[in-house]
Amino acid sequence: MEYVSSLTGFRFDGRRPNEMRQIRGEIGVLAKADGSALFEMGNTKVIAAVFGPREVQNKSQQIDNQALVRCEYSMANFSTGDRARKPKGDRNIISYSADHGSKYINTFDASFSGKNLKQIDIFLQVLQADGGTRSACINAATLALADAGIPMRDIVTSCSAGYLCSTPLLDLNYVEDSAGGPDVTVGLLVKMDKMTLLQVIALMPTFFFFCCCICFVLLFV
Amino acid sequence: MVGLSAGEKQFMHGGIAQDLRSDGRQRLQFRPISIQTGVIPQANGSARVTLGATVVIASIKAELGKPAPLRPDKGKVVIFIDCSPTAGTMFEGRGGEELSSELSVGLQRCLLGGKSGAEAGAGIDLSSLVLAEGKICWDLYIDGLVISSDGNLLDALAAAIKVCRFIFLVRFEISSPWQVALSNTGIPKVSVIVEASAEDQLEVNVSDEEFLQFDTSGVPVIVTLTKVGRHYIADATSEEESQMSSAVSVSVNRHGRVCGLTKRGGAGLDPSVMLDMISVAKHASENLIAVLDSEIAAAEAAEDDGS
Repeated sequence: MEYVSSLTGFRFDGRRPNEMRQIRGEIGVLAKADGSALFEMGNTKVIAAVFGPREVQNKSQQIDNQALVRCEYSMANFSTGDRARKPKGDRNIISYSADHGSKYINTFDASFSGKNLKQIDIFLQVLQADGGTRSACINAATLALADAGIPMRDIVTSCSAGYLCSTPLLDLNYVEDSAGGPDVTVGLLVKMDKMTLLQVIALMPTFFFFCCCICFVLLFV
Repeated sequence: MVGLSAGEKQFMHGGIAQDLRSDGRQRLQFRPISIQTGVIPQANGSARVTLGATVVIASIKAELGKPAPLRPDKGKVVIFIDCSPTAGTMFEGRGGEELSSELSVGLQRCLLGGKSGAEAGAGIDLSSLVLAEGKICWDLYIDGLVISSDGNLLDALAAAIKVCRFIFLVRFEISSPWQVALSNTGIPKVSVIVEASAEDQLEVNVSDEEFLQFDTSGVPVIVTLTKVGRHYIADATSEEESQMSSAVSVSVNRHGRVCGLTKRGGAGLDPSVMLDMISVAKHASENLIAVLDSEIAAAEAAEDDGS
């Protein structure tokens, strides 16, 4: 299939290979959470809620000199094109969300002083999935953490990229994502210029990898 | 979940007794309600309803399916509610499941008349979903998601389902396989082959250009009256719900008919109070339907301006 038109060089949705989808962020969308944000990347839409810093609920989970960051990821039933018939209790989904949760925690190694032994909960809810949910979740969580006033070393931003039709493509949508090409998601600390997350799926030429990285450095916020 | 001090409790009870609640409302007054339709483009119909600090999203997806053997002339409707942990830390992990299933059952009872109801479909006309009797029907998947919770979730969810501006594909032509060639010409159509049985295989052509607007005006609204102390109140916040002794949810349609009823809470209710609550709920539902209608009209007008 031709994901990049050989004639015009445009992608299916009319973007250039190194063009992102339209992004939109909104903070303070939930009245009950300490911090919340809605983040959209094209049709991908994610809500993040942050509760805390608060007392550690389960004392056995407390780690010395560190804040306890917990994260839960869930997808709405209607978020994908085909309605998922599986109920929430499905084992795959639970392990999947736990797996995702830990990834996000690693991404947000928020900095705290030693005395601040508190718990921070990040809840991510995918309302619509159209590719790049992982990066949308990270961006939404960043905004929500900032909204909650939690001190962070830097702002974490994230974006994905892929490689189809021998062209590196930035910010894959669902169609491009499911095409089976290689796929990289990167989380960056923008000001410190450091990487906090790197996830690679499938094989790819090294040169492309560098192309992706350059794309991310050009990112927003 | 909600921790209230003795003074706060007394203040709330006293306010309700004097018909002036903590947020300035009267006993039977709803919070301001705002509606956005079409929030989930992937669904056939969707809406977000904001009722005070309560935010819910409802989405309806229609898929072609086969009617149940016992009810060949009726389509199927599945209601599934999910409480997102973004609404509160008590919903993390499996914490929301209990409330989710309670809400799902409550809505099923109020909108569909319960699972076992022989004439299921008090709120939604299931026979209008059948395309070919005993062979093909629309299956409606109604998914609700609680994003932010500040009480009165059932009413908000029912309102969201009602205002889902529900559009689905209408131009279906059902024909036997040998007629397919004829009906496939003309406007581009998506064709779906449904295998009914070996002999009578049906070909359904669904046009992606013409749409039918499913009539949601007959879908009832739910008004929940929460009994706090000696009085009952409409549209309780989560603080007020924490003090409730019992709650009655009445679903009423446009014609003022009661389509379903559920009672929650531990305390029993005097039958005369119950009857009183039903008539009050009926009266309150008229206002709620009027508010929803004007909100739908406003949302549609805004959408038309935008496009």
